[in-house]
Amino acid sequence: MSYYFTILSPTDTPIFNIAFGTSKGGGDGIARFRFPDTAQYMNQFIIHSSLDIVEEAQWTNGGMYLKHIDTYPPAAAYISAFLTPSGARFLLLHQPPQLPNSGSSGGLGSSSLLGSSGNLVARGSTSSIAANPTSPQTEEAVRQFMTEVYESYVKTAMSPFYKQGMEIRSPVFRTRVTAAGKKWL
Amino acid sequence: MTSPGDATPVKPPPSFSPGVGRSASKSRFPDEHEPTLSIDAELADTGSVSSPTPPLSATTAELRIRSASPQARSVRSSTPQLARSSFGSLFDGRFDGSEDIRSLIIRAFSPTIAVYASEDTDELIKNKGFKGGFWELLRPFGETITGKVIIRDSIGSSRAWEDYGVRFVDLKGLGRAPASRDSGRDSALAQIEEVLAQQLGSAEGSLGASLSSKDVLGFPATISLAKLFLRQLLSSTTAAPHETFGHPVASVITISSRNKAPLETLRQLYAETNTGDKRLPDWVHQEYLRYYVLVHDEDRDDITESTRLYDQMKRHFGLHCHLLRLRSSQCIVTDDDSVQVPHCEWLSPQEHLSGAGEAETLVDLGTDGTPYLFDSDVSAIKSFIRELTVQSVIPFMENRVAVWNDQVASRRRGISGRFMSMSRRWAGFGSSSRSGIGGSGGATSGNYDTEHNFYRQDTPEAILRKMADYAFMLRDWKLASSTYEMIRSDYGNDKAWKYHAGAHEMCAVSMLLNPLAMSAKIKLESIDQMFETACYSYLTRCSDATHALRCLALAVELLKSRGGSATESAARWAMRVMDFGLVGSVGQILFMERVAACYASKTPVGGAKWGARRRKAGMWSIFAADQWLKAGKPTLASACLEEAERLYADVLDADGVFPMPEMQSFIDNLRHAVKVEYLQARGFDTQDEPAVDDALGTEEISEKLDKRNHRRSLIGLPAQLDAGTLMSAGPRDAEDQPNDDFERA
Amino acid sequence: MAAPPRHSAMLSVSNTAGTPQSGSSDKSQTPQQPSTPQPTQGLRVPSNRKTIYDRHLNRSRNAELSRASFAYLFAEMVTYAQRRVTGIQDLEKRLNEQGYPLGLRLLDLLFYRTTTTSSSALSSSSTSSSPPNRPLRILTLLHLIHGPLWRLLFGRSADALEHSVSPDTPNEYMITDNDPLVNTYISVPREMNQLNCAAFVAGIIEGVCDGCGFEAKVSAHNQPTEMWPSRTVFLLGFGESVMEREKVLERAGIK
Repeated sequence: MSYYFTILSPTDTPIFNIAFGTSKGGGDGIARFRFPDTAQYMNQFIIHSSLDIVEEAQWTNGGMYLKHIDTYPPAAAYISAFLTPSGARFLLLHQPPQLPNSGSSGGLGSSSLLGSSGNLVARGSTSSIAANPTSPQTEEAVRQFMTEVYESYVKTAMSPFYKQGMEIRSPVFRTRVTAAGKKWL
Repeated sequence: MTSPGDATPVKPPPSFSPGVGRSASKSRFPDEHEPTLSIDAELADTGSVSSPTPPLSATTAELRIRSASPQARSVRSSTPQLARSSFGSLFDGRFDGSEDIRSLIIRAFSPTIAVYASEDTDELIKNKGFKGGFWELLRPFGETITGKVIIRDSIGSSRAWEDYGVRFVDLKGLGRAPASRDSGRDSALAQIEEVLAQQLGSAEGSLGASLSSKDVLGFPATISLAKLFLRQLLSSTTAAPHETFGHPVASVITISSRNKAPLETLRQLYAETNTGDKRLPDWVHQEYLRYYVLVHDEDRDDITESTRLYDQMKRHFGLHCHLLRLRSSQCIVTDDDSVQVPHCEWLSPQEHLSGAGEAETLVDLGTDGTPYLFDSDVSAIKSFIRELTVQSVIPFMENRVAVWNDQVASRRRGISGRFMSMSRRWAGFGSSSRSGIGGSGGATSGNYDTEHNFYRQDTPEAILRKMADYAFMLRDWKLASSTYEMIRSDYGNDKAWKYHAGAHEMCAVSMLLNPLAMSAKIKLESIDQMFETACYSYLTRCSDATHALRCLALAVELLKSRGGSATESAARWAMRVMDFGLVGSVGQILFMERVAACYASKTPVGGAKWGARRRKAGMWSIFAADQWLKAGKPTLASACLEEAERLYADVLDADGVFPMPEMQSFIDNLRHAVKVEYLQARGFDTQDEPAVDDALGTEEISEKLDKRNHRRSLIGLPAQLDAGTLMSAGPRDAEDQPNDDFERA
Repeated sequence: MAAPPRHSAMLSVSNTAGTPQSGSSDKSQTPQQPSTPQPTQGLRVPSNRKTIYDRHLNRSRNAELSRASFAYLFAEMVTYAQRRVTGIQDLEKRLNEQGYPLGLRLLDLLFYRTTTTSSSALSSSSTSSSPPNRPLRILTLLHLIHGPLWRLLFGRSADALEHSVSPDTPNEYMITDNDPLVNTYISVPREMNQLNCAAFVAGIIEGVCDGCGFEAKVSAHNQPTEMWPSRTVFLLGFGESVMEREKVLERAGIK
């Protein structure tokens, strides 16, 4: 499982980004997306496009954790969202690992854009293990992760030198998010 | 089997008056042919060597002005397709053609009418310049029937249709089709791809010179491409056992006035349709309407003679007869009353490709090869086809549906039918059909011929499918969907997978076409489920990629035209198409555009600001642009870019800068690349372009820095609360101090 | 009270004036205030290697601050705001702007504390106290302000919550505080009798509304009664888009 976590201000400006991989089940915590490294913009595109859904869910669901709200099927990317009451959005893109047998490992012209063509296989087989992005366990883990990040976020926001919408550059914050990721995801 | 006389009692059409819809249809006509015409025009332009250069220079001139202008940033039409910008709502039209697409889909499933002409008739027609004979002469005219066609549905209410059409096929080709099908199954998709590539090639041209004419027409290349693709896909499927759309509803048996023994010939032709090598395969229902036509040669033969013969025909063969008066001499452009024969809308991919050499079926050759007809001939043919359809074919179909509904469907619907289907034994129900068919397993009805994989034409399963198809072609989607619904599980029990898939597919399609049904979300889910099943059966159980793709393409277009949350399903299906790898490289891009179109068509729910999918649509447009560029089609890429800009305009701030830096740089690079390639493709020196682009770039960056003071109150606060620098307080002090003194003083 | 005292030394906190606790910044010559009535946490220089991230957000939850020190601090804020103002409206605007960012922060803090404590401070506003819901409708939001927010700030609920009766202004709501804490030690000179320093609180409310996605204008007005001479009404006027959304949500049956 690879993760891309973004905090967006109420005006959609990214104020914090981090990519990491799972640490569960012997994972080394390094993100391995299906796109080649040159196509990291894909994560941003997918996150940005999911804002359409976030905006809709925002006013139909009063909870802070909105659960899994969007999927980008071509790359098997799943988006979970968490909204702070003051309008910041925490968006987590998670992507199950590409199975080694499912064909080419990206890098080709079209597969860089569409992820892999073999993700049907991936989807089918990951449903059995805990890496299934829509299982209740995953939802719960993501919720825990989000809540922990929220705590750090509130502390950041409490700082008089932090103004809403500003980029969060504190290394401590980053460490905290990484730790939360390690702990839950 | 029907004998000529007892085909069916002719039910007079409910309120048929010949002249009724004519004027209305006139105005409709150009509408329908617009896409084809636009292609033609543009291709004709390519054909003529001395293509005009003025539009090119005009474009670049405009481009320079635009790039230099400081206002350019807010509009962000930095792509080279500036000529198009003047067409304001161009892309609205592009993504708004859902009614058009619906009509296209409906017309794709038109009744098939087989044409079986005597040799003397074909000879006569060939002299007029139609190599394919009588069939080819009728074909283009059948696609749109002049005037309104009124159809009564199963509950007796009638509705008028302006876009009704029938499909004329060559009877000789019909029997042969299945054989060639197996070999060409995969190649059907390859052929579609080839047609698309051909179209693209000629559209873009080496210098892209033809583009100017297209722009003038106000039609972006891709809408016609997407339509072309759909039309190709819908016309690529040939007659198959599992669906009866390709099976003849009627056959037109034709002789000419030159025939020496007219009645005998007619009888012989009729007999040949029932026996011998012209007989259709076992899975085609033989009970189709026979229609007898006498082609009178106006130039050579005596009309009184023909009229006498015609009366004789009517006495022998009943009411389904027609006297068609044509001139036998060939018409040329310079003749006074010459009329160009319309293009065939429904050419199969194969014909598209093979048409390259033949003049008459070719769209691409423009004016040179298209045959001409005398005005009188055209109106004679039109009124013949109208009479054939309105007075014979449609009443025949209505009657068949009523009879089958009464005799077969109601029994199946009834308690006993249900019970029998539960115990999976239809013995006695299909009566005659059981004899002679072996291999009836305990779990199946026994009507399914597992060896040849079809139901014989007289089994209830086959008849019900035929009835549903008839209802579908009569646009009685309610009856059609309920019938498909009824039989779809039976096919599953028999493991007749292709039938199974087909019934699921058409059930979902007819539900979607039914304008009244389906408002609840639950229905949408069941429709999704049906498409899923159909697609699985086609693809996994039958490995029939063509039908699977057709099924999915229909799902995409129809769900999209439903609007609301269905558009998201549509987008999902389009992604599935790409995922399955059913389409080639051009098809992939087209489907990307479809995804964008699906998302773009989702509008916010009343009053609310949410519910649209602009960002998603924009994203897919960008991807499509990227792929067009990689495919070497900067023009199309630029169209997609422009579309993306329009879509993103709503969700971005007025300056159009993306909040995400990597997205922004990707899009900027793409824009630049498209611009460069576009200009290079047109043979322009791009040397000074980068400079302009750089200027734009820096402008964007400076915007980005100061743009994010969104909240009213935050604007009030000085923007120097930088967590990193405590010192920011310093200058502020200095600035305040004098004022403070001033205040004290 | 006399005219607000002037302390030019307070200028150094100008850029963080929106948050009272930042008055404890190292540059000020005024006595250090470990905490304030707004129990948001003070920022400390991490000399002990402890950053703000190491402090628990609930630690100062029940901490109280001397009213005198708050009054002193607030007086300084008013003084600062009064500098270079063109009139009473301008002054109120400045006070409002000082309150606004505080409102945004309080919102997050308020929700954080209700998620992490079992006894919900939001219980009066929402029936299901855990997990708390973001307010989607105006009324929920108003209850949030009237109850939990007021308790967080002043230790008690506000005194009244009303909807405008005028058909012309269906978007106006009023929250009444009979005796606002901020005004307790402030007496306004006669020539400035329009002034209500609770504009600062109005700013906080505005921040809360805006943070929740309810664009609003909030202002404070004097409405003295015999019993409550400093009774203040906070007038909330919601924006067009909010009212439109309200209609949509009502149709959708969202509470």
